Amino acid sequence: MNNAQIEIQLIASLVAMACAIPGTFLVLRKMAMISDAISHSILPGIVIGFFITQDLNSPLLLFLAAFTGIITVVLVEYIQKTGLVKEDTAIGLVFPILFSIGVILIAKNANDVHLDIDAVLLGELAFAPFDRLIWFGTDVGPKSLWLVGSILTVTILLLFAFFKELKVSTFDEGLSASLGFSPIIIHYGLMSVSSVTTVGAFEAVGAILVVALMIAPAASAYLLTTNLKKMLILAVVFGVFSAISGYWLAHFLDASIAGSITTMLGLVFLLVYLFAPSKGIIAVTYREKQQRTEVSLLTFLLHLKNHDELEERHVNHLREHINWQKVRAKSVLELALKNNMISIEKNIVSLTKKGDAFTSKAINYIITNEDAQIEDMKDDFFLFRG
Amino acid sequence: MAKNIAIKVDDLTVAYNYKPVLWDIDLEIPEGVLMAIVGPNGAGKSTLIKSILGILKPIAGSVSIYGKPYHKQRHLVAYVPQKGSVDWDFPTTALDVVMMGTYGALGWIKRPGQKEKKAALEALEKVGMLPFKSRQISQLSGGQQQRIFLARALVQNASIYFMDEPFQGVDATTEIAIINILKELRKEGKTVIVVHHDLQTVPEYFDWVTFLNVKKIATGPVKDIFNDDNLTKTYGINFKVSVQE
Repeated sequence: MNNAQIEIQLIASLVAMACAIPGTFLVLRKMAMISDAISHSILPGIVIGFFITQDLNSPLLLFLAAFTGIITVVLVEYIQKTGLVKEDTAIGLVFPILFSIGVILIAKNANDVHLDIDAVLLGELAFAPFDRLIWFGTDVGPKSLWLVGSILTVTILLLFAFFKELKVSTFDEGLSASLGFSPIIIHYGLMSVSSVTTVGAFEAVGAILVVALMIAPAASAYLLTTNLKKMLILAVVFGVFSAISGYWLAHFLDASIAGSITTMLGLVFLLVYLFAPSKGIIAVTYREKQQRTEVSLLTFLLHLKNHDELEERHVNHLREHINWQKVRAKSVLELALKNNMISIEKNIVSLTKKGDAFTSKAINYIITNEDAQIEDMKDDFFLFRG
Repeated sequence: MAKNIAIKVDDLTVAYNYKPVLWDIDLEIPEGVLMAIVGPNGAGKSTLIKSILGILKPIAGSVSIYGKPYHKQRHLVAYVPQKGSVDWDFPTTALDVVMMGTYGALGWIKRPGQKEKKAALEALEKVGMLPFKSRQISQLSGGQQQRIFLARALVQNASIYFMDEPFQGVDATTEIAIINILKELRKEGKTVIVVHHDLQTVPEYFDWVTFLNVKKIATGPVKDIFNDDNLTKTYGINFKVSVQE
């Protein structure tokens, strides 16, 4: 690996980290689409900033762009508050207009500025190492590395300082307000960080793909953990993994870096979506199948409990009485036997003591819906896990 | 009988999009009562609580808690929002939610430590939820979630408790557990204000009641004012309370 390659991967990783942190809160606040809006509507801010400074990494440009981001959020909320349209409609109205102002500004001045639509949409990560920061005559690295690094540092500091405030206002706005942590201040704080991060990530991955870096790692992490801190860490890990593996994917395919990173983000999410231990599709399908079996088992046990007549409990007649298909009846019978719920004597099925107690308990739970009594059953049976 | 006034509401008017949902409310809630706010859907019951707590800005009028505005008396007040107002899939545990009750006393930036954790565990114990402390909140039943919310309010160790429909969607056992804790709070001299739906249980649970339907209909001791007349005025239909034999 040469220096430029390392620098590109470093920038991509820092961008991914800086995006994953606000992204996690956006996902939890069900505001994923607002990041899409911000990433597009900051364009006029960037363009105007670039006209003034002629430098994509200047702080003024960053400030102007972030300011446009905040304006987007304010406009969306203002339109939404009129009650005439819903939030998604408001988002769909605001950002294309701001974005197109940026597009027109670029087109009108295309000959004078080194800023083109392709770069804006997809980023120019491959060129990032060419723009160096010179400090007292020494080359200290690519400018965008410093920019993104600073944004990330500030984001992490803010996260550590206001973690508890972010958590409580995200989970329970009403409580947050009553405790004196103004949800409005926290909301706009988060929006500001998201806007600044988006500007920083803009150069690396462009307007379209910033959204993926914000949302995909957080969405993947959400499926894997029930702990906010772990969710943040996982999101960062997924982001960095996708950034680095995406870079190498692009390297071998000789394709767009931004496109490859996003492909990796999509792949990571797909894998998590399929294989996540409790929320993944496979786990859910398996659990549903188990539940079906357990309900069948319970129905069967209840039948035995309710019927003393021998013919109702004869192995060969069970099927007709409960009206099940052969395979299902057999598997349920075996499951009950395996768990010592029933005993079979001379082809007559009867409940064992354990089976009888289990059935009463389960029925009682279903009727009263009280949890305390069946805590110990929960480990053995999916059905009661709510 | 000159009881302290815990909460005083003066000429409070609250509007959504210029449509008043609370209209010129005057209310004095004495210290140490267990009060129900009753009224039909859309009567502004939750709005009243939220306005007292400064969550909603009124277009007119004022609120004071022990003679001072709410933002100066925050430490005296605990609030339990409606259970349905939060996302129970949020990645956090029962203990962590209860810990949130300690955030107010901590103020900005400062983190909860061992002291806060101990207080949260005690509150969990009080509502009988200690065995569930590490459980993810979506894995709790409705009644258990409500107990967690109650524990979160208890941990604030406040003087005034506001609860928005704490009995909604909970089983009978939890309802009794909750009301017993609320009665205990009253015994300790605290003021408890509950948005309540089930008129049948008002005389049994509460000693003070406010009838609300956009305007205040009546407020006072349950034994004096919980009658057919006020119920009819509030709900607009002829009411016969069968519970007071």
